[in-house]
Amino acid sequence: MRSSIRSIMLAAVTIIAAAAGAQAFDQSNYPDWSGQWKRPAGIGNQWDTSKPPRRGQQAPLTPEYQGIYEANLKDQAAGGQGTDPTYTCIPDGMPRAMNVIFPMEIIIQPNITYIMIEYLSMLRRIYTDGRSWPKDAEPSFMGYSIGKWIDEDGRGRYNALEVETRNLKGPRAFDASGIPLHTDNQTVVKERIYLDKSDPNILHDEITTIDSALTRPWSVTKNYHRERNPVWVEAICAEGNQHVRIGKENYMLSADGYLMPAKKDQPPPDLRYFKQTGK
Amino acid sequence: MPVRSSIGAVALATVIVTTIAAARAHDETKYPDWSGQWLRTGGIQWDPTKPIGRGQQAPLTPEYQAIFEASLADQALGGAGNDPRFACLPVGMPRLMSVIFPMEFIFTPKITYILFENNMPRRIYTDGRSWPDHPEPAFAGYSIGKWIDADADGRYDMLEVETRHLKGPRTYEGSGLPLHKDNQTIVKERIYLDKTNPDILYDEITTIDHALTRPWTVTKKFRREHNPTWVENDCSEDNHHLAIGKEHYFLSADGYLMPAKKGQAPPDLRYFNQSKK
Repeated sequence: MRSSIRSIMLAAVTIIAAAAGAQAFDQSNYPDWSGQWKRPAGIGNQWDTSKPPRRGQQAPLTPEYQGIYEANLKDQAAGGQGTDPTYTCIPDGMPRAMNVIFPMEIIIQPNITYIMIEYLSMLRRIYTDGRSWPKDAEPSFMGYSIGKWIDEDGRGRYNALEVETRNLKGPRAFDASGIPLHTDNQTVVKERIYLDKSDPNILHDEITTIDSALTRPWSVTKNYHRERNPVWVEAICAEGNQHVRIGKENYMLSADGYLMPAKKDQPPPDLRYFKQTGK
Repeated sequence: MPVRSSIGAVALATVIVTTIAAARAHDETKYPDWSGQWLRTGGIQWDPTKPIGRGQQAPLTPEYQAIFEASLADQALGGAGNDPRFACLPVGMPRLMSVIFPMEFIFTPKITYILFENNMPRRIYTDGRSWPDHPEPAFAGYSIGKWIDADADGRYDMLEVETRHLKGPRTYEGSGLPLHKDNQTIVKERIYLDKTNPDILYDEITTIDHALTRPWTVTKKFRREHNPTWVENDCSEDNHHLAIGKEHYFLSADGYLMPAKKGQAPPDLRYFNQSKK
């Protein structure tokens, strides 16, 4: 009889193993990060949300890049775009994408965690399958991200995702004030993403940026609030974008459909390729 | 006693299996394997079995055939015609499913996502919801899907999708084949794997639109790459097309504005202080 009990238990174990094999992705191992994540109300679009924008960020820039930043602020004050490249609707890239100007969604799958941000078609794939850095990956604004799930309190369920992002391309800035990243694009971004211990509707992202434009790694913590019944709205930068770039100059498009200066006394574009005699 | 023990063991085993099943609400074995990267097998035209442009023999109403002909004439002169993509607007539905750059599927219990390299993702709600009352129209529309187990083998093999609540401007392809500007388009799709080759995926797409004299059905065919490399394809990066008012211009490689058409007038610079020149 003992053998029959053993065989029944063995059968049960086999069934469980078969179930586990067939369902390779055990969702119960992962945290619930479903829904829509937004910047908290009242939080601006600056990089370090605990500090005021622009110079108030006290970004640890090298003297060279502080000079670039100051020139940028002066250009923006005159109506220009400075070193903020996104007025032409290129993606924010990393780490700026995590400002989450428009909401994001996180989808956890067995080998990849996806972060989808409504704006500028920004899609992050964070590979959690144990892979190494690829040898000749094409650089991108969002970079190449490798992540590792952590069960830090040993409860049998992951609670934090550690991510490292490399292989970036530019131009990129930390925020709309144009705080620059280095043109060598050797940025490394390290993140630790986890739910608040007391409020599961708050997500934290501790982000450390290592960049040649900085005198030291720059760490900030972003907080996001969950909306469990989201409405997703397309946010299309190119739709109704009034900024245009011709050569190195940026201009505006007027509401009545004409090209207009972005700065006081800005000269018009050079029209050398048009047959002016036809006018 | 031994019998009671064995009954207990069976009960325990049942509880364990049931608990595991409940914990894993999304049973992957019920869904088909559409993992990996899917690439188009044909060109960039809408109906892949026919040539682009007039060769599509699109069943357009006379009014929209005339709009299409005007678009073709404008494009022949170097203009963009009806094609709104030159300004990097999303292509929207149904054109998204031409999959100019590769796509990826993600299944979750309530939503199937289709991700694209150069467009916003599609969310296809499979949770049995009804159409929302006042959704914001979108280029990708609002999609409701239903998984079908056509051969009743206990595993879904087809996703039926209906997409509504679209906004424009949208066209079927780069030739500017137009959809109606009332944006009342309805797109119905049946997506399924080839029965003999699991690395081929089909999407039967029927478009119902007021610019058409009848529903227009085409079948798209995609092939799978199991070990994909994903590349960003950002339309706005290095876009050499520029719209000023209703005119379309080019940006030259050396950074100057240039005409897109022969004899095109330069833009009106009335808002610049010309006396400074």
